[in-house]
Amino acid sequence: MTAPVRSAASLRPEQVELACRFGSLSLPHPIMTASGCFAYGDKFAPFFDLRRIAGLSTKGISPRPRPGNPLPRICETAAGMLNSIGLENVGAQAFLSEKLPWLAELGISVWVNFFGEDMDSYVECARMLDAGHDRGIDVLEMNISCPNIKKGGIEFGTVPAVAHELTKRCVQATRIPIVVKLSPNAADLPAMAQAVAEAGAVGVSLINTITGMAIDVRTRQPRLATTYGGLSGPAIKPIALRMIHQVHRAMPQLPICGMGGITTGEDALEFLMAGASCVQVGTANFAQPAIGPSIRDELRDLMAELGIARPADVIGCIRPVPPEPAWASEAPEPGSAS
Amino acid sequence: MVTPSPSQFRARVVDTRALVGGYFVLSMEGPAQPAPLAAVIPGQFVMLRGEWGRDPINPRAFSVLDSDGDGRFSVMLKAYGRGTARLCAMRSGEPVTVTGPLGQGTFVSPSAHGPTQLLVAGGVGLPPLHLQARRAAAAGLASRVELLYGGRDRDDLVLLTDFEGWGVRMHLATEDGSLGDRGFVTVPLQRRLQAAADAGEALQILACGPTPMLRAVRAMGLRHHVPTFLCLEEEMACGFGVCLGCAVPVYGDKPYEYCCTEGPVFEARRVRWS
Repeated sequence: MTAPVRSAASLRPEQVELACRFGSLSLPHPIMTASGCFAYGDKFAPFFDLRRIAGLSTKGISPRPRPGNPLPRICETAAGMLNSIGLENVGAQAFLSEKLPWLAELGISVWVNFFGEDMDSYVECARMLDAGHDRGIDVLEMNISCPNIKKGGIEFGTVPAVAHELTKRCVQATRIPIVVKLSPNAADLPAMAQAVAEAGAVGVSLINTITGMAIDVRTRQPRLATTYGGLSGPAIKPIALRMIHQVHRAMPQLPICGMGGITTGEDALEFLMAGASCVQVGTANFAQPAIGPSIRDELRDLMAELGIARPADVIGCIRPVPPEPAWASEAPEPGSAS
Repeated sequence: MVTPSPSQFRARVVDTRALVGGYFVLSMEGPAQPAPLAAVIPGQFVMLRGEWGRDPINPRAFSVLDSDGDGRFSVMLKAYGRGTARLCAMRSGEPVTVTGPLGQGTFVSPSAHGPTQLLVAGGVGLPPLHLQARRAAAAGLASRVELLYGGRDRDDLVLLTDFEGWGVRMHLATEDGSLGDRGFVTVPLQRRLQAAADAGEALQILACGPTPMLRAVRAMGLRHHVPTFLCLEEEMACGFGVCLGCAVPVYGDKPYEYCCTEGPVFEARRVRWS
């Protein structure tokens, strides 16, 4: 066992400064909520004051409203769930007129997740949402990774050259900074991150859900009407951490917003240490609508205990496990070992 | 209808009562003043989750069986999967996280001169109809509701003495014929609908139970031109309109509505079922 790192003596919780940065964006703390798990924010107002989270990412917005997929759309799996909602949303116009004004008044960071059905409609959506520049939208989070869209969408999320082209065209279509939400279904995440960063994305979000399936052995049918869906929840957290670590190691200057199964402050700290600048909480909002503020408090208390004064002090800080002594057939003589 | 905003609160299990047939009544006690579920309407539901870590991740939805003004409330359940098995095994004193009351679409109350309400129940679909009958009895309207209740065998029909005590007329059916008519609940329902048609009696059907039962009840209600309301259950992760998992196919302006927010009670005619 390696001795725990104590960068300093333990702090009192109020000595921890949770404020952090995602590129040029300032956040009061690193805990946001994730797209698809927080609707447009308003449904959570009965449960807590939304100003207690640093920001939110909206349900994915397309140029026009979409009705969503047939049933069943969700099913639970071990420590997680599969969904195939089908990117149901109110459309860009209705979002701008009906949802954004309320969100903008909150004063928290508003990230609008968006997508299209082909390259032109991605660009169209970015152009439409540009009307939210200076009206409360901080970031357009471009979803190139949802498994629940049929028409050729898979290439946007898995082929670096295609993602590069798509990002470049969307960046040109709007004044709002674009963060690209990457697909864990891509073979080479660092290559994808590099492709979108070179096209003008200010950062990346990872990971989206992982394509999976579940089967009802009694009916011999898949548990989702679309057969495959996106796996989320604590089950995917180790995969998310590995991917964030890989991307951060390859591009240490690229801001990463991390997500994938976060349910506690300790989970959030793992994501920061893997290389994320901030995190989004997703599936956990369903069971506990006010979990965002709880995770923030847990993170602050844990950072205090570990003597971490600021999130920036630990982003991507993990150290390799030290090597063990070389094997030999004879144990060293007593007194000679280090 | 304006319903109180949902909240999430902690409650403690105060009683786990095993009924016959594998059914349990789980009684809990939450905050008393105000009691979040004090004004619960039949059909409204709660999401329940014990403190069992990360798995299963989502809470489970249950119709409220009963709720008083002092924070005590109950649900009825059966162990079907991992979540319900854990809830059935809970002991007195254990904490439960509760979200509710949830659902805007609820059953309408009976009235002294309105149609007779046929409460058609099967399996774990009994609770909202049990609460409907309890409320009707408390309002002196026990004669305006009748229970039609079907199950596999006599052990599949529970809490019958409550309905007896309230003076609610019952029509029972079991697949093995061990109690009431032999067959599905549609057997006494068909007879009751025919009698009402012959007598020119106005009826409403309020139904909750397994989906095959609800499909059959819907078809019968439509055939007999009887206003029919179905309390539906769909897989849901959140219960308050965020996950969009519990879509119900409907006719109208849009292809789907949500069981959790626009339901769980839907007018049968509007439900887009084959």
